[in-house]
Amino acid sequence: MAEFTDLFSAPLTFNWTLSYRCNFSCVHCYSREEAAEELSTAEICSMVDILAEKQVPFINFGGGEPLVRADLFDVATYATSKGLNVSMNSNGWLLDLAAAEKLKAAGFKSVGISIDSADAALHDDFRCMQGAWDRAVGALQALRTVGLRSTLSAVISRINYQHFRQILDLARDNGVAQVYLHNFKCSGRGFKNREELDLSPEEWKAFYVEALAVKNATTDISISFDDPVIASLPGYAENPLVKGSSCGKLSLHLKPNGDITPCGFIPLVVGNLLHDDFDDLWKNSHILNAMRNKEAKGKCGSCGSYESCLGGCTARAFATTGDFSEPDPHCWK
Amino acid sequence: MTVLKRNPAIIWRVERQREAEVKQALAAGDDPGERGTVLLIDSGTMHQLNLVGGTIWQLIDGTRTAADIVADLAVEYDVSQDELIGDVEAFTSDLLQRGWLLHG
Repeated sequence: MAEFTDLFSAPLTFNWTLSYRCNFSCVHCYSREEAAEELSTAEICSMVDILAEKQVPFINFGGGEPLVRADLFDVATYATSKGLNVSMNSNGWLLDLAAAEKLKAAGFKSVGISIDSADAALHDDFRCMQGAWDRAVGALQALRTVGLRSTLSAVISRINYQHFRQILDLARDNGVAQVYLHNFKCSGRGFKNREELDLSPEEWKAFYVEALAVKNATTDISISFDDPVIASLPGYAENPLVKGSSCGKLSLHLKPNGDITPCGFIPLVVGNLLHDDFDDLWKNSHILNAMRNKEAKGKCGSCGSYESCLGGCTARAFATTGDFSEPDPHCWK
Repeated sequence: MTVLKRNPAIIWRVERQREAEVKQALAAGDDPGERGTVLLIDSGTMHQLNLVGGTIWQLIDGTRTAADIVADLAVEYDVSQDELIGDVEAFTSDLLQRGWLLHG
């Protein structure tokens, strides 16, 4: 896909795992079993310099829990001073009013809080942490108090797919600007527990048909899915920047040690941001180019929707088959 | 005449390699078409500006009026003053309407 890197000299977003450490132990977590050396604040700032030089406009800190790193505020302040647009995702446990004020002062543009159910007990059970829901909602309230844009992330699974409207109401009640209804990823514990948590392809279709209708009828809150498998559905009116998965095209993932992977759910290291030439990795990585140039395999070969979805989620296909180009296991067609 | 400035909510970057290629094509007498040299992201939607549009966009830095921009372009492009005035006016009017530009 020569024309791709001809236009995009770098990704638009780096999803950045500063640490795999987390104060939670969720049943679906992609990274709970992961370990990597963490870098010093100075090394992290050196990586920020590289991203600024490459004109990467957005970084989003995830984890692990970003707030377990005491230097998160300093790193964000530095990144903001370099012109980067900084956001993060958190479980909210450590995000009280004082932390919200520090996030605002550090220049965060937006902070996402994970809440998987409007039912507090269900969320606490899913997150394996008593009181998690109260603290997460408290975090949304703290962000609202300091005037920092908040988003809400829910991983759609068997526990919540029939109750997503209540999650939207919870978001409304707490001044949330945007709700991400994330598709379930078969990575890490998500892979181990997928029999129990993941939906069948037919259930995914029914969920998306309903959720798209709600999205199209909703004006007071923004609803996002970010799942390429839905491109074949009637009512899908998005005009994404690229077809198929955006991983490896518009976004990349950074591990705590500076290693680059296409996304957090694909454990293949492309190179290291501190030690390798980024332009060379971006243009010539066999892994990235394989993701950008998938071939229609299996049922995708004869599917009329392939040009729209390009086989759906590459991470899910890879996790379940070891091949980027196999069909997304969530696909109902 | 007021200065113009970019809406800070618009995320953008110059695609330097693409810009160099387009300039190279022009210098060689080839038609680079409408290939974008500047990427803009407005509320999650990406747009591209061609070389002339991208050059004007970069000049709109909150210190220049439209007349200043025309004067700067006149150094770089061998076209009549009237044509430059028309191009800058059409471009900035469109972008003001889209909300991508603001009066300073």
